[in-house]
Amino acid sequence: MRKAATAGVLAVLAAPARAAERSSCILDPAALTPREMFLAAAIGAMIACGVTSFLLAERVTERTHAALAALVVLIGGFCLFTLFGLVGRNIPVAGSLVLVGLIGLFKLMNQFEIRRKRSLSDK
Amino acid sequence: MTINSLYFVNWWTDTLIIGGLSIITWVALLAFHHSDTQPIFWFALVLSLVVNYPHFSATVYRLYQSPDNIRQFPVTAWGLPLILFGAVGASFWQPDVIAPYFLMLFLLWSPYHYSGQTIGLTMVYARRAGFPIGRRERMALSAFVFSAFVCGVIRFQQNGTSGGFTDFYGMSVPAFPLPDWMEAAAQAVMWTGALVFGGSAFVWCLEQKRLMPPIVLLPALTHFVWFVPGASLKSFWIVIPFFHSLQYLLIALVMQLKVRIDVAGGEHSWQCIGAEARRWGTRNILGGILLFIGLPAAFSWLPLPLMTTAGILAAAVNIHHFFVDGVIWKLRDTATSSALMMNIAELADPGAVDIVRPNVVEV
Repeated sequence: MRKAATAGVLAVLAAPARAAERSSCILDPAALTPREMFLAAAIGAMIACGVTSFLLAERVTERTHAALAALVVLIGGFCLFTLFGLVGRNIPVAGSLVLVGLIGLFKLMNQFEIRRKRSLSDK
Repeated sequence: MTINSLYFVNWWTDTLIIGGLSIITWVALLAFHHSDTQPIFWFALVLSLVVNYPHFSATVYRLYQSPDNIRQFPVTAWGLPLILFGAVGASFWQPDVIAPYFLMLFLLWSPYHYSGQTIGLTMVYARRAGFPIGRRERMALSAFVFSAFVCGVIRFQQNGTSGGFTDFYGMSVPAFPLPDWMEAAAQAVMWTGALVFGGSAFVWCLEQKRLMPPIVLLPALTHFVWFVPGASLKSFWIVIPFFHSLQYLLIALVMQLKVRIDVAGGEHSWQCIGAEARRWGTRNILGGILLFIGLPAAFSWLPLPLMTTAGILAAAVNIHHFFVDGVIWKLRDTATSSALMMNIAELADPGAVDIVRPNVVEV
């Protein structure tokens, strides 16, 4: 179990380590890999959701803000999935953690844009 | 004290659609097992045109048919399609890097979505039967249903993959790797959930001095057949989406009839019901064809195999459906829950309901 946990941490840290090796691409955006470009676009989408929520403050219901926040979680979750989705191939325990994370994501998305019991501004 | 009907249509129709037909199919496929799944695949594809595709279209239709719905759920109606459009664009752009993960996400989300429908159907029939589902029963039911889903995911991976990949629309989607002990753990939770829920049902039967109507337990039993024994039979899991869609269409049709005939003040007659059902059915068949054939055809100019384009778009339509379904079918919503308590005969003639099918008294 301890070995699996160590391997899991190493697997998680390996990606940033590889990114550091390729730090030359900071100077040359054209050298970005497709995955990095996708991640950049996803970060842009998350910022867009955050900005939309900020600009719509007090103009839309709390439910809409919560839905925009859920979209950010969805995009971020998908990004992590593209990075670590197959980590279970090397570390089976990590595969089960990814599945648990996905179930949590699905459960959260199941609450997407629904009426909340304690909503103040939705009244 | 209110009187509610137990079935949406009648015993035969509800039993067959909610699970009877799929269990019969499973038994038949088990008895006449054949390794060649191509005939079943083509049969399922033809059925998709009239059941699976319309079931997606029905959701889209229900959300977008009313400007009120769009105003009420702006992020679902507008924001979500934009995000999905971005995901589809990324998948088209990087079919080897992003698309496999997008499809994996869909392939894992799909059985989870089926689980949600199973719980919803059980809740609806339990309410109709007067069986109260409290916190304990709800937790036990969820434990059973979602653990069966995990068992199903593991079995699909074991039986539906070749060389660590699942074939989806001709694309190789990586199998989702899970440890061996997970199925045993999921089964333990599943059987515990079944015991607790079954125990509650038994106590209720003793208190009420009558048997629980089997339709209450049928959605969960059907779900079990789909994801535990059925998941090992490839020819069967090809047709599982058809049965899921069939369940959905029954409920969606009743809801549509309620909205058009009851709420909108339409004429209460079988003729009117038939006309509205035909109109709704035709629109959804056309809508389904547009979503799953028209949309990929519109993107056929892309430098990708048409099947790849169709697969990515199908995944996007599915994920959109999972969201919209969650939004529009909340049982806590009064309008939804009241519509889900009715019988189709009430729309034809409110007085005729007692002679059409049995009634259940809810206290």
